[in-house]
Formats: sequence, C-alpha cells, structure tokens
Amino acid sequence: MDQKHASSPLAGAVHDLATEVVLALRSGDHLATVCGAAGIDEENRTGIAAVRVIGADLLLPSVLYGRHPHPGDVAVLDRAVREFPPKPDAPAATAWSHWHMISTLQRMAPPAPGAAAPGTYAEPDAAWLEEAPWQAFTHQLSVLAPLAVPAAPSAVQRAAANRAVDLSRGFVRAVRRRDWLQAAGAGRWLAATGGEPATLGLDRGLDFVELMGGHDPRVTLHVRAARLMAEARAR
Amino acid sequence: MFTTDTTATDIELDLDAALNPGEVEGLYRDSRECAYLALLAGGGALLLSPPTPRPKKG
Repeated sequence: MDQKHASSPLAGAVHDLATEVVLALRSGDHLATVCGAAGIDEENRTGIAAVRVIGADLLLPSVLYGRHPHPGDVAVLDRAVREFPPKPDAPAATAWSHWHMISTLQRMAPPAPGAAAPGTYAEPDAAWLEEAPWQAFTHQLSVLAPLAVPAAPSAVQRAAANRAVDLSRGFVRAVRRRDWLQAAGAGRWLAATGGEPATLGLDRGLDFVELMGGHDPRVTLHVRAARLMAEARAR
Repeated sequence: MFTTDTTATDIELDLDAALNPGEVEGLYRDSRECAYLALLAGGGALLLSPPTPRPKKG
C-alpha cells in the first residue's frame, strides 16, 4: 500500500498483509508465502507488528484449505508471538488473540523435537463475554474474529455459539451503522458456529458487507473466510 | 536491533490501538445503499427493515 495514504506505517503494513491473505484465500495457493508477498520478514518490526494485528489469520489459507503453512509465515508468526506478548494490564481481547496465535502455531506447525516452543498459557478468562450486552459482545467478537475457524475450540467460540441470536442482532446493527469490519467479523462468527435465525439472510448480508466495505481487505478477509466455512458446512 | 524509521514507542502505541479498536461512530445507510441491498436481497428481511424509532429529546 502507498504509505502516504495509510494513517500510519503500521496501518499500511496491516493493509498489505490482509491483502495478501485475501489473495491466498482466493487462489488457494498454499505454496506462496503471505509475508514474503507483503514484504515482511523477521527483521521488519513494523511488519512483525502487522502480523500481531492480523494474528493467526496469517495462516488462515492453510487452516481452511487443510494444507501445511509456508515455513516463512510460521517463522514470522512465531516471532510476532514472542515480540509482542500481552502486557499484564492488556485487555482480554489482546490476551485472547495472543493465545490463539500460540494455539494455531501448535496445531499447524508443531515444533520439531528439541526445538524451543513458544510459551504456552491457559485460556484467558471469558466470563466477561457471557455477561456483556449484545452490542459490546458483537464488537468484542468481531475484534476476535480470527478465532472463528473450524476445529479450534475455545471459550470464545462457545460463547459465540451460545449467543447466536445476540450476534445476529449485532450483525444487523453493524450493517446499519455501516461498520463493515464489525459486520464482517460478526458474520464470520455466525458462519463458523451457525445457529443464526434464517430470517437474518446471512449470505446476502455478507454480499452487501463486501460490496460496501470491500475496499478494506480485512473486511474481504472475514467475508471470504465466512464463505469458505459456510461452503464446508454445506458439504 | 531493528532498523526502521518508526520508533518502538510509535509502533507499540499504534499496535495497542489496532488490537483494541473502539467502535466506530455509527453512520446510517442512505436510500441509495438501501436500493443496492434491495437488489441483493432474497432473504435479509431484518436488514431491510426500517431503522428503529428513537425517542425524541426534550
């Protein structure tokens, strides 16, 4: 991305990285390195920070297509885990996204015998999600949309499944507010967990979200992930 | 040591903000966008429903 049009170097790097993830999702090309295509390596601190923002979605093409991730992407994701651990006073969503990066690394690229594994820790607390008003619940779930993937159980995923109607309300609210990123994240959760009312019209709603918000590659990323998961559920 | 033109503090501030974004201020659809949605809609009755009435101030 032309950096002068981004609000910060980090925002530009996140935009570029999300664009490459979307391209990989569209092509299903598991051999390409997402980070390499975005010009990010282990020595690029802004790029590593962008990987921390995108989180485990860096490996989303491999997760959804069931393929081995590129070693370069694994290395950069591992670097982001180590470089940007949550601070002691970090919000719960930050702790959860960090936990999910570690979990995804362990699931998709277990360390070789004898190699140092990233530090692990138990699932962060999720009781706050069960008590949150549906508007805040949807907002936080959207921030945690990378956790909406198949075969990755977590307390966040259980909360999403248990509050599908609240999440559906939040999806509609986000569309009405033109908050396309939140709508795409909520739609991704609904596609991953199911249980939304049929009257929601999720498929058409996601079409609309992509039409209106597709200039942001993070919106397209979530919509594409939702479609791939919905297709997999229908098979 | 990393070599970038951005300080560590800048990156960490930007990173904290990116990891914990607040909700954007709501902007409600205009009629042109509703027309797009009407063209797309097969289901989506909820999305097409009018905005919820709000209490008047004063």
